[in-house]
Amino acid sequence: MGKWVNINDMNNKINTSLFIACQQCDALYDKPKLKQGQLAKCNRCGSTLIERKVDPVNRSFNWSLAGLILMLPAILLPIMGVTLAGQFHQASLFDCILVLIDRGFFMIASLVFLFAIAVPIVRLAGALYISYSFKFNKLNPSLLQFFRAYHHLDHWAMLNVFMLGIVVSMYKLIDDTELSVNFGLLSFVFWLICSTMSAAALDQDYIWDKLEKAFTKK
Amino acid sequence: MKTAKQAGLALCPKCHKLNNVTSEPIQCSRCNGLFYQRNHHSLQYTLAWCVAALLAFIPANLYPIMIVYQLGIGEEATILSGIGEFINHGLYPIAIIIFTASIIVPLLKIIGLFVLVYKVHTGVRLKPNKHSKFYHVLELLGPWSMLDVFVVALMVTVVELGFVTSVAAGPAINYFTITVLFTMFAANSFDPRLLWDKKSAIQTQ
Repeated sequence: MGKWVNINDMNNKINTSLFIACQQCDALYDKPKLKQGQLAKCNRCGSTLIERKVDPVNRSFNWSLAGLILMLPAILLPIMGVTLAGQFHQASLFDCILVLIDRGFFMIASLVFLFAIAVPIVRLAGALYISYSFKFNKLNPSLLQFFRAYHHLDHWAMLNVFMLGIVVSMYKLIDDTELSVNFGLLSFVFWLICSTMSAAALDQDYIWDKLEKAFTKK
Repeated sequence: MKTAKQAGLALCPKCHKLNNVTSEPIQCSRCNGLFYQRNHHSLQYTLAWCVAALLAFIPANLYPIMIVYQLGIGEEATILSGIGEFINHGLYPIAIIIFTASIIVPLLKIIGLFVLVYKVHTGVRLKPNKHSKFYHVLELLGPWSMLDVFVVALMVTVVELGFVTSVAAGPAINYFTITVLFTMFAANSFDPRLLWDKKSAIQTQ
């Protein structure tokens, strides 16, 4: 305890790269040296302090590339269809937006577009761009701003909720209509898996450390 | 346990870099973003978003959320009557999922955040360990309330068979999305580190 205060009194600038603070409770620790695949947890509140992921660049590059390829069939192919009284109608995610706009429900149209299409795509493209720059060593200072902006979208991807929404509405319809499932649903599931995995594989601490070493003027 | 604040340091919320505190707002030396040592006016923002969400939750339950047209005759359903219909049909798991996502979670978030704000403000029976875990659960549950909105959006799109059957969204859907978004803003503006600050302030008194 005494050590900290002395350092603080002697000179106002602490070498901040030697320490790490918990995001949830602000407890201060010496920065641990971790190997790939290890993680450090806070003693006080139990949340993860820092994690080094295995092979972060290649994994997030592959997952996000796969996700971006699957994006097209997931959005454009029909997810499910209904047959009732001899009439057949099917809809894809993109139709969903068009129909909602057509019928004047602008608020839910924009919400579905934002949370189920735009944010996941931007996140996948962002992860791809970042891991591409690291994989082929094309770092440039604008990545600092870019990765910061990427973090703004952390809370707002809701593909998993939309997936549960599909399941619930299938349950609703199966009772009194004839329901058919299309390839759109399959590719949507794979798209969901890819975007979850690409977000999980991206090692934020590693990327920030590298960017800091490359671009901070000191 | 020493905290970063006591050592005169602040953690950047975006890139998790520790910075020396000079004057607020602090500019991060790594990502150049501006931030505060604790979320700025955290309790006030949380309280304001919670009250707004609670207000929007009232019309969300009173107005119909979905209108089913069969042969030109419309049948309106609110959130609760929709759940009642599931129970009548014997679809209990779906009824439970919808009830949890669209009634329990928003109310739990609003009431829970009120309690957390109250505890941080007064410090009465504050257990930072338990309360920060509770906050974490609230934060994770947030997006799942959007379930009902997505279900209605899908129903409107898929069940579109002209005169025979069609589904329209009711006015409640707008109020409900507002509720969900506001509770998410409220949870984001709450700062769990204040729980620990208050606890250590009480202990040193």
